[in-house]
Amino acid sequence: MTEEIIKVKDVSKVYGMDGVKVQALGSINLGIKNGEFTAIAGPSGSGKTTLLNLMSGLDIPTSGSVMLSGKLISDMKGSDLSDFRRDHIGFIFQSYNLIPVLSVRENIEYVMLLQGIGKDERRSRVGSILSEVGLAGMEKRKPGQLSGGQQQRVAVARAMVTNPDIILADEPTANLDSATGAGLLDMMRELNEKRGMTFVFSTHDAMIMERSKRLIILKDGHIEKDEQRG
Amino acid sequence: MKILLKLAWRNVLRNKRRTLLSGLAVGIGLASMIFVNAVFSGMLQSMIRTATDTFIGQGQIHAKGFRDTLEVEKTIENPGSVIKQLGRENMLACFTPRTVSFSMLSSAGGVKSVMLYGIKPGSEMKISILDESITNGRYLDNDNRGMILIGSKTAETLNVEVGDRLVVTVAQAYSGELSQEMFRVGGIFRMGIREADSGLAFINIKKAQELLGIGNNIHEIALRFKDIEMAGDPALPFWRKYSRNGNEAISWKTMVPQLDSVIEMSHISTGITLLLVFGIIGLTIMNSLFMSLYERMFEFGVLRAIGTRPVSMAIIILLEASILAVISILAGSLLGYAVTKYFSVNGINYKGIEFAGLTITKFIYPVFSPEQFTLYPLLIIIFSLTAAIYPAVFAARLTPARAMRRSI
Repeated sequence: MTEEIIKVKDVSKVYGMDGVKVQALGSINLGIKNGEFTAIAGPSGSGKTTLLNLMSGLDIPTSGSVMLSGKLISDMKGSDLSDFRRDHIGFIFQSYNLIPVLSVRENIEYVMLLQGIGKDERRSRVGSILSEVGLAGMEKRKPGQLSGGQQQRVAVARAMVTNPDIILADEPTANLDSATGAGLLDMMRELNEKRGMTFVFSTHDAMIMERSKRLIILKDGHIEKDEQRG
Repeated sequence: MKILLKLAWRNVLRNKRRTLLSGLAVGIGLASMIFVNAVFSGMLQSMIRTATDTFIGQGQIHAKGFRDTLEVEKTIENPGSVIKQLGRENMLACFTPRTVSFSMLSSAGGVKSVMLYGIKPGSEMKISILDESITNGRYLDNDNRGMILIGSKTAETLNVEVGDRLVVTVAQAYSGELSQEMFRVGGIFRMGIREADSGLAFINIKKAQELLGIGNNIHEIALRFKDIEMAGDPALPFWRKYSRNGNEAISWKTMVPQLDSVIEMSHISTGITLLLVFGIIGLTIMNSLFMSLYERMFEFGVLRAIGTRPVSMAIIILLEASILAVISILAGSLLGYAVTKYFSVNGINYKGIEFAGLTITKFIYPVFSPEQFTLYPLLIIIFSLTAAIYPAVFAARLTPARAMRRSI
């Protein structure tokens, strides 16, 4: 039986806005298994991004616990949590993913630099990952010199280059045209199948939902549907 | 660390206009502090020179107690030996002996009391500006002992001109009897200092000694040092060496105590100005950092998300502040140097302005000093880093999710 890489137990999140409390997530229980290609979908305000943030330690739950790779990340703080994210999670955001003042190579190298990986190893990994995402030869370009689709590919490369346990993507195709989005998605699916890497998306893109192996539908902060797909 | 420095450097250069404006604002602050300090130093030097070069010298030797009473009998002990010793002092540029006494000048047109100095014309020229201040007539010479130099105000009061006769009355030493002698006005001087132009008169020292009945004795030796800084140093062994055997040697700081107060005051006011300017500089840097931080909020969220530690976020901000400070220091130092250099060559005309009882008689030339290019830049770095602490802590405390939410 495949091991669960993420275990979300009784997690809720309440935001305080101008003195008014807003419940973003109710009591969520969820497990993500190694190698899954999961989409978390739902309308705006349903709690997709909040759930993704809690699963990745980008935010702290109001109650409940989140375990990732056997570590209770909902209790981690400061540098420990930063180091954990650096070593175990790859992130892809909707837009402005990359650091604009760094080149493609530097963006991809950044996390490896934080990990203290040597120069030769970094260069070798950057070369091969860029070939894998179809951007070989673009190492020196700045993000501003790339198209939206190319930028997202660099983000995928950055997320994958350290071989994290899981990649969390928050609406990665939201700012791309459908053809570019489909290309990006195909690439991620291929990486998932080839490398067995676990992907979790938050999305309301029908294309992602169709291509995901598991679809979780959120509504008003609760899981409405959780289904395994082909 | 290298990647953090790279990030900080490129971020500072990212918004060139803002960096340029902030750098210029801070740089102008530094340049103005360099210039103000240089002008203050120049003004103080000018005031010290005005006070010392005009007449009194940078130091004086008297018999102990003479300055308090100006008694004619209180002449310098062993003047010959003292003068011989002074001649061997390497730190001295020159010195001149004087007699000093109260006297009454009478002319056909009036009477005026003045301080009558007996001077040695040759060596006096090297200490005071008396010879340069003659506006009518000529300076004293060794041969003509019947000549007197009076100030322009005295000449007005007595209604005399060059060539007119004056009767000088002094009290003789020991007997206290009055001694009178007639002199011709050989020259009229204008030093630009009211007290000097209305209250001093000069005759040949030999004649003065005769009039006062003090033989070859003298009341005062005025000194000029090769380095004026030495003259202002109360710890200089010179003062102790000549403050023996009934004599006392004093620096200009003792003779013109108000000047020391002016120096003290200028240090305080410079300190306050520094604090204000550098406070504003700190706020400018903080403002610039916060503007840039808010602009890049999502980016900061991404950096935190992908594993940048809170302390590294703070370091990025501190490095940005340091880089901005260094750019500002370069701009400010260059600007400050250029402006100060220009005025240090061409001078600033403050002639005639009276301050703390002293009249500035010469152009003020701003003076460079090492602290302008070491201490002030260091203060910019310190103030900038202090100002950056708050935004740095703010950046370090940002949680990724909050940073990304704030930017939307």
